[in-house]
Amino acid sequence: MSEHPIKVVVGKPGLDGHDRGAKVVARALVEAGMEVVYLGLRQTPESIVAAALEEDADVIGLSVLSGAHMTHFTRVRALMEENGLGDRLLTGGGIIPTKDQETLSKLGVGKLFGPGDDPNAIVGYIHEWMATHPRGDV
Amino acid sequence: MSTDSVGIHTDSVPGVGPQPALSAELWQAFLAGDRRVCARLISKVENDPRSVPAIRERFAGRLGQAIRIGVTGPPGVGKSTLCSVIALGLAERQHRVGVIAVDPSSPFTGGAFMGDRVRMERFVGDDRIFMRSLASREGRGGLSPATPYVADVIEAFGMDRILIETVGVGQAELDVLNCADLVVLVLQPSTGDAIQSLKAGIMEAADLIVVNKSDLPGADTVLQSLRFVYSLGGAKARKAPPLLATSAQQTEGLDELVDTIERLATSLVESGRHRELRQARLVDEIRRGIQQELWERFLSQTEAESAIQKVAADLAESGGMAYDFVRAACSQVELRVREKRD
Amino acid sequence: MAQPITRPDSQAGDSDREFTTVSGRAVQPVYSRADVAPDDLGANLPLPGEFPYTRGIHPSMYRGKLWTMRQFAGMGTAAQTNERFRFLLERGQTGLSTAFDNPTLYGWDSDHPLAEGEVGRTGVAVDSLQDMERLFASIPLDRVSTSMTINAPAAWIFTMFLANAERRGIPFEKLRGTLQNDILKEYIAQKEWIFPPQPHMRLITDLVSFCAEHVPQWNTISISGYHIREAGATAAQELAFTLQDGFTYVEHALAAGMSIDDFAPRLSFFFNSHLDFFEEIAKLRAARRIWARHMKERFGAQNPRSWLCRFHVQTAGCSLTAQQPEVNIVRTAIEALAGVLGGCQSLHTNSMDEALALPSDKAVEIALRTQQVIAFESGVANVADPLGGSYFVERLTRDLEDEAEAYFAQIERMGGMIKAIEKGFPQQEITRSAYEYQRAVSEKRKIVVGVNEFANEDEQLHIPILEIDESVERDQLAALKTLRESRDNLAVSASLEALERAARGKENLIPSLLDCSRVYATEGEITRVLIDVFGEFREQAFF
Repeated sequence: MSEHPIKVVVGKPGLDGHDRGAKVVARALVEAGMEVVYLGLRQTPESIVAAALEEDADVIGLSVLSGAHMTHFTRVRALMEENGLGDRLLTGGGIIPTKDQETLSKLGVGKLFGPGDDPNAIVGYIHEWMATHPRGDV
Repeated sequence: MSTDSVGIHTDSVPGVGPQPALSAELWQAFLAGDRRVCARLISKVENDPRSVPAIRERFAGRLGQAIRIGVTGPPGVGKSTLCSVIALGLAERQHRVGVIAVDPSSPFTGGAFMGDRVRMERFVGDDRIFMRSLASREGRGGLSPATPYVADVIEAFGMDRILIETVGVGQAELDVLNCADLVVLVLQPSTGDAIQSLKAGIMEAADLIVVNKSDLPGADTVLQSLRFVYSLGGAKARKAPPLLATSAQQTEGLDELVDTIERLATSLVESGRHRELRQARLVDEIRRGIQQELWERFLSQTEAESAIQKVAADLAESGGMAYDFVRAACSQVELRVREKRD
Repeated sequence: MAQPITRPDSQAGDSDREFTTVSGRAVQPVYSRADVAPDDLGANLPLPGEFPYTRGIHPSMYRGKLWTMRQFAGMGTAAQTNERFRFLLERGQTGLSTAFDNPTLYGWDSDHPLAEGEVGRTGVAVDSLQDMERLFASIPLDRVSTSMTINAPAAWIFTMFLANAERRGIPFEKLRGTLQNDILKEYIAQKEWIFPPQPHMRLITDLVSFCAEHVPQWNTISISGYHIREAGATAAQELAFTLQDGFTYVEHALAAGMSIDDFAPRLSFFFNSHLDFFEEIAKLRAARRIWARHMKERFGAQNPRSWLCRFHVQTAGCSLTAQQPEVNIVRTAIEALAGVLGGCQSLHTNSMDEALALPSDKAVEIALRTQQVIAFESGVANVADPLGGSYFVERLTRDLEDEAEAYFAQIERMGGMIKAIEKGFPQQEITRSAYEYQRAVSEKRKIVVGVNEFANEDEQLHIPILEIDESVERDQLAALKTLRESRDNLAVSASLEALERAARGKENLIPSLLDCSRVYATEGEITRVLIDVFGEFREQAFF
């Protein structure tokens, strides 16, 4: 597979309107040379995975500050498996207690970031993950 | 190329190089409507230009029917929102619709921010519509270089109306003319003054002009200026295309917009113009293919690249001209081709 | 990130370091009389309690009345939040502030498909009058003032509140409190809208007019800069966009035929208090001066109460860190002090654990104690505007006022705030500032203690974390189901039909909403009817 920009779908599932983090991170990803499909607010797990599927995204990034992270990340991960996107990275951020991060990690959710984390840490994590998880060709 | 061949397919065109095509299994999934495979194929043509011939050969007999509708216009006029409306309207009129939304890549980082889905979220989960965001990458004319091939994948997937939304940075968005059968130019009231300076190519080529956000003041002025521009005589004078006023926000004029596009699409096919366009594009494709092919042979057979560099350096020093070298190089290629034939 | 401490703070000639505020404003090494316009130490600086109120709205400020200590609270079911309310009142809190959960804030019932996983998570779930009854059970609503942070569906959450007071025999005239009811900042920053701007503006105007007549002690709009700031705005942007929102509400009420002095005294504000101590104080002082001037000179208000910019302050949630959360107590104390020195009328102090979860009882108690230390131990409340006349603070006040006026002019040229919002202007300004701040942090031009400097690699969390039990959602759904089965559904349908007719007409919608609330129509049912009439607003993402 030739070198090409990493494609990331960024969305906010559920009902919180705090999109500062999602936008700052989206912009940092673009500045790091990634192609970011921004889905915006009030997404459902279904709409996020459907978009990631059509976009053939390498990475799905969710931002959840509503406390509903367990519901959303779990559902998105399950839908990814169902739709043949199990080999893509699901990552994201929000106000997510360590205990919940550990539970989600066991379900196959990637690293999650919180307030204070540098967006460049997310960029670095995605690059690292992509380098260690080559995707199969068509 | 038969569709039942399995696995690796060696391309018959030398120089392009053999590329693996899709496996029979994936091809069947594609034909059966697996959106994931369609999405993967789009990535393939987008990311790996060398794979394009092999993939497109699979599409033999599946292309040429869809109407490709370019939607272009300055930034902020509401192209995405209108595309969303048009796509849903066409789907309701029993079409299967592809949407390609192109956003600019940063020339500095190569990254791109693609926000069209925010305005197109109503598609999600709608089997009648397939939407894809593309970054313009090296494309400088308002589209990604891969756009026509992405449209091919989407058409082969079974979509019969394909919307192509250009970057919309305003200038020189002429790529769309080469890959769309119909061109919709979207303007808004505040672009009134800009009409005179709009790229002439787009004004001549537009099959439909939409003044969106017509609830804002100044819509009438824009419509008037447009009528005036098209009323001017001259060598390139043409009849004004249909002019529509819409307000996506107020949901005004939207049915009429979709109806007009459908009417234009029908007459495009009935008048034979659609076939002509396709034929013209094939001519273009053949020409470009030959150019490309010869250029690649030239490069591969003569070590030309280093020779070019060297001659250029000499000419820069001496102030001489390049014609002698060009003639010599071409006749060398000609000789080799003859030798082979003999 | 455990790097050696290399910041040469103590060295002389440290010319590389940027000396800027948290908003990126460059500051001089020292300020003197030459940096302040004579008027800003003279005509613009009369005593507290005098126009244009730069120094405060009361002559003696906190000697007469301390600020209201009002901690924002809400989680789980109405009964659980009621417990938290009583916990706070027992510990000396003097007013209530209600946080609703996301489905409630969006106008949806707890059984809406998109509400899954969100019920009771970041606030209390309120679906109907029944929940309102439980939320305020045995709380003396005629004596405790109540703030409700809700916007898009504010009108029908408020009519549920009114219906509850009515059932308990408390006259509307005795109710005191504040409804946030500020939709413009939703489009700008918080993104919790339902309809397009115009129907929302109608509902707000209806409510302002209804309260002027029937609920005279109620603050009808709390024009909010808090969320604008949290979304990444600078101090000047927070100030400018908030006050411009305020002017827009005033213009709408005037256009609806009200006279300025009938409603302006009930408008109040809600500002953020961020970490940059002096800039925040200056921002609050500038807000009072700008509002007073515009109300008197531009809108012709005669009643001095119309000139007053009264405000609630909340410390900056976005300044809290998940790392070393105990340090947030210090941040919050500094921010709270700025709020008090800026002359706030009420104050919320964030809890140390809010970058991690909803606050625990322990964390909330410390946050409240922080206010009490400032009020009763520090001595700062003994003197009104103790920083008045400081060259630095007066200069900052002037600069912020000028920057806000420049934004007002720019927005007016766009055709006003609603047009500017539709163009994405304030949204884009904020997104840009947010990104610039993040870059400054990434590049260590701004230091965040414990995050990009002084980090503790081996940190272990030592504070309790509040967990919302999953049973909350189940209980709430069950209660909602029972309600739908047990209420008078004929009366509900009739009231909703009447509401629809009213919405299609021009009349004030509050009486119809009150009728719906009285018969236990749910929030989501009311929202649905109104969406059918008004349509839904769709996001325009601006970058």
